[in-house]
Amino acid sequence: MTIETATKGDSITAPAGNISDESTGLTPHKEHTEQPGHQEGAQIAQFKGPLEKVYAFWLAGMSCDGCSIAVLGATAPPVEALLGGTIPGLPKVILAHPVLSVEAGKDFVAMYHKAWEGKLDAPYVIIYEGSLADETLAAATGGYWSCMGTSGIGDPYEDSVVTTAEWCKRLAPGAAASIAIGTCATWGGIPSAYGNPTGAMSMMDFLGKDYRSTLGLPVINIPGCSPVGDNFTETVATVLMFLQGMGPLPEFDELGRPAWLFKETVHRQCNRAGYYEEGTFASEYGQKECLVEIGCWGPVVQCNITSRGAINHMGGCMNTGAICIGCTMPGFPDKFAPFYSAAPGSDVSGAASRMVGSFIRPLRRITQRSQNRETRWDRNGEVPSGWGHPSEPSTSDKIAHYFYEKLQFSGSVKPGRTKPEAKYKGNYEVPGVVAGESDPSQKPTP
Amino acid sequence: MCFKNLPIEFDSQGKAQLKEGVSNPYTYQVKSLHAEEDQLRTLLAKNGHIKSVDFDPVTRVAGALAFHTVADLKEGKILSANSMATLFRGYEVILKGRDPRDAIFISSRACGVCGGVHATVAAHAMEMAFDIKPPPLGIVVRNMMLALEYLYDHPLHLFLLAGPDYSQAIVEQSNPEIMEKAWRTPAPGANIHGYANMGKLMEDMNPLTGSLYLEALHMTRVAREAYVLLGAKYPHPETIVPGGVSVTITLQTFNEVYARLIKFFDYSKKAAAIWDDLTNFFYDANSRYQEVGSRPMNIIDTGVWDDPYAYDASYKNCNEWGERRWATPGVIIQGDLVTTRLQDINIGVEEFVDHSFYEQWNSHRFKTDPAGNPLSPYHAWNKETIPKPQGQNWKERYTWDTAPRWDRMSVEAGAYARLLITAMAKKLPHNRFIESTGTSLKIQLPRATKPALELEWHVPKTWNAFERNRARAYAIGYTAMVCMDNWQHGMDMLKSGETAVSTKFEIPKKGTHIGAGFWGAGRGFLTHHLVADNGVISNYQINTPSTINASPRDPFGTPGPYEQAVMNTPILEKYSGPENFKGIDVLRAIRSFDPCMPCTTHIHVDGSDRVVSREVNTCACGVD
Ligand code: SF4
Ligand code: SF4
Repeated sequence: MTIETATKGDSITAPAGNISDESTGLTPHKEHTEQPGHQEGAQIAQFKGPLEKVYAFWLAGMSCDGCSIAVLGATAPPVEALLGGTIPGLPKVILAHPVLSVEAGKDFVAMYHKAWEGKLDAPYVIIYEGSLADETLAAATGGYWSCMGTSGIGDPYEDSVVTTAEWCKRLAPGAAASIAIGTCATWGGIPSAYGNPTGAMSMMDFLGKDYRSTLGLPVINIPGCSPVGDNFTETVATVLMFLQGMGPLPEFDELGRPAWLFKETVHRQCNRAGYYEEGTFASEYGQKECLVEIGCWGPVVQCNITSRGAINHMGGCMNTGAICIGCTMPGFPDKFAPFYSAAPGSDVSGAASRMVGSFIRPLRRITQRSQNRETRWDRNGEVPSGWGHPSEPSTSDKIAHYFYEKLQFSGSVKPGRTKPEAKYKGNYEVPGVVAGESDPSQKPTP
Repeated sequence: MCFKNLPIEFDSQGKAQLKEGVSNPYTYQVKSLHAEEDQLRTLLAKNGHIKSVDFDPVTRVAGALAFHTVADLKEGKILSANSMATLFRGYEVILKGRDPRDAIFISSRACGVCGGVHATVAAHAMEMAFDIKPPPLGIVVRNMMLALEYLYDHPLHLFLLAGPDYSQAIVEQSNPEIMEKAWRTPAPGANIHGYANMGKLMEDMNPLTGSLYLEALHMTRVAREAYVLLGAKYPHPETIVPGGVSVTITLQTFNEVYARLIKFFDYSKKAAAIWDDLTNFFYDANSRYQEVGSRPMNIIDTGVWDDPYAYDASYKNCNEWGERRWATPGVIIQGDLVTTRLQDINIGVEEFVDHSFYEQWNSHRFKTDPAGNPLSPYHAWNKETIPKPQGQNWKERYTWDTAPRWDRMSVEAGAYARLLITAMAKKLPHNRFIESTGTSLKIQLPRATKPALELEWHVPKTWNAFERNRARAYAIGYTAMVCMDNWQHGMDMLKSGETAVSTKFEIPKKGTHIGAGFWGAGRGFLTHHLVADNGVISNYQINTPSTINASPRDPFGTPGPYEQAVMNTPILEKYSGPENFKGIDVLRAIRSFDPCMPCTTHIHVDGSDRVVSREVNTCACGVD
């Protein structure tokens, strides 16, 4: 593909995407027995080569519009850049959004119909926000739970409605990719919580395990309630980069999650993980320590918000002080309820880290006290701070430090051990260093 | 005192009680819609075309709210309007039988446009039910979060959602004569917003390309960055807890929020000047624009932003702490402020389901509220949600929305309600930046890159789509200064060492506890009502501003606010034939409410075979 630059003829050419053979499709998880991409090779041929545009159909089922709002906050890339076609190398995304489109009416739904009939001039993807209702439950009493569009037959006054689930069924088979955004669409989410009357379910549950898009992919799942907007725009961008031959095959895990975003637990990247490791825990909301004892589920939750932030790298749950309630997980919400109470598993792991922490913490403080001093202060034996009186290292501190340094520089050179005359050939006298001796400040003073 | 229709009177101490000698005080007769509907159908049938309507996609019902209208193009009138919510997710049903602690995170998911408010109002309901009082800094942080949420919401609405309706791109098509005049009309606010004439200003409002559009998109992100520094994420924050917030506050938090908040000082000046100029220009071009979206000034609001030293979460004292808010609670009927007491507001609201897809419940468990005021069986504490999906029928039931009414009257909610009631009530406690004069609100905007400015918003004489938008534009400055005032309070608390942000709580395992949260969403009035029996939720009721505004006809036959506003809207658009009719005036009327559900209008053009259908977006990132 070609990236246009300012001067004509001065273009950079990247290798064309290799899309039609073995590497077809994006990589589903390794453990997945069937490589769906292989079966659908024929259809994929149509995507060979750089795409100029891609259609995207956004379907909102039982949703709160929070996913749309989350995507509006994305910055890497921002949604207006995808839609405006202003990202060099990427095709323009033509979005049909039941909530967002400015130009609506005739042309708007005509596009959905064209896609359904396979008459679009470019491939399309569908994006589903919200869960899908079990409409058979509502139909039993002659109604619906969630709908978009009418059947197009009959009296406008009594026109029958087309459910959002029906639109999903119509468009999914012809889509290059079907993307579920947000926990409602990926795993059923809150509308499918215990006691719900609508039989709400996820896109994956609705389409079934044999579903494949024309690219050979099962449903791509980008969970989160609400999701991080960038997780969505980034997934779309990387898939497009792959299709354009600019990037590698994005990896998806066994549940169709972008693996580079959802492989790790949020605890591993948590900015409070150090407190956990040292066994110090918050007992009230607002405290700075690890939140596990007041309800955080982070250690078992796959989410990247602590490293990515919520919007433009700001915020994020534990970054701010909030417990993790597992909103990206298939078990959300019922398996994480009641909220604000500690997960039972945290008793065991918390007690363990308390024990280890009570041992590690004092040792670290010794080293920290030493590292908190300039070598000059060690040399002069005083800290010239007007702010306070940092405690002088105690004898036991010094002994500990002596052995600590031994270990630190075993197999290496301690700075200052080289004879100064060897270092400064011009006979320049280093302040505080007697020629012929190594730096006295580096001499351990046991 | 304040009730005209409910059978409630007040004794000499101002305590509410049922009027004596009224048997079955709350019963009512449902007024049939059949006659009205049949008449319309005859009208439609007479022109003979209706059966041959081209059912091209235009007839579809999209989004969660559909709007159905019959228009007489010859007269330029709207004959009838029906508002229908097309989505049911069952939050109230899901919450029933759960641990009350789940209410905050689950109910937040009721709305992805303003989820943060739901989380807070759910926390309020729990705090009232279980007697938990958050510490002052916790209250201040909540106030700031809410203000920052509005600061994202108002620009979004003004420039991304409603804005395009007033842009050159749209007006050039719908009313070329107005656009032509715009190019010739100097803009009075030029020294503030920088546009020499109205044409240029309107050009910059064009979707996706106009610089005002893009600037607003940017400002929504600035506000959301500040929000997530306190709320962790948006739209569903994670830091609201019963008894306060779960935010680790340091000077970094305050500094980073401040760095973003101050960007709104100049932006507030600009937004107000732009919408002043737009409103006056349209009124000037055709005075009938004052009728677009007009309806009686019947307004309700719960008030928002608690006084950190007055809020104690109790129902008993809610009249007092309610009136100490930075936005005063209240009800306006026909332009007169009739109450500012939260208890009056609370007991006056009833929800009717006669034209909705729900079954009527029969219980009347709570005859009085915790303060001893009489409660209707249709009040939220007594209401039950019994969904019954069925086909829509304009004569019977046509929506998933209910019909909330105050004193059995159709009232509207919105960001503007905060300005109207606060300006009229003169109850605003002492604060650094905002003054209520009885007829106006004065807002002191500090110097930033532009000089300091006093904004003064006046209670308008007429109530219509333009005034809703103008008020919302002033609400940016109002909100920014409420946030600033709270920010300063927070800093003062850090100075004095009042650093606790939450209070420990227990959920009692025994007994019946009831509570309510009253707190404004971006679009105004919001309540959650909670009943817990033996530590389990036995009833949970959510009443949102869009429930109120999008409501269908009530049993007394009165249409909901959207329906009324649309029926009062004249068709001022210019079009060559029915096939080119766009319905822009109707859209302006609906969008001025800032509908928070995806909303579609359908207009049956009387005397032709056209059905116009247009999206009313709540959000506009996709412009293609
Ligand atoms: S706050 Fe949660 S995610 Fe962070 S370290 Fe503690 S348990 Fe892990
Ligand atoms: S940290 Fe937990 S609660 Fe926060 S976004 Fe991730 S999964 Fe959701």
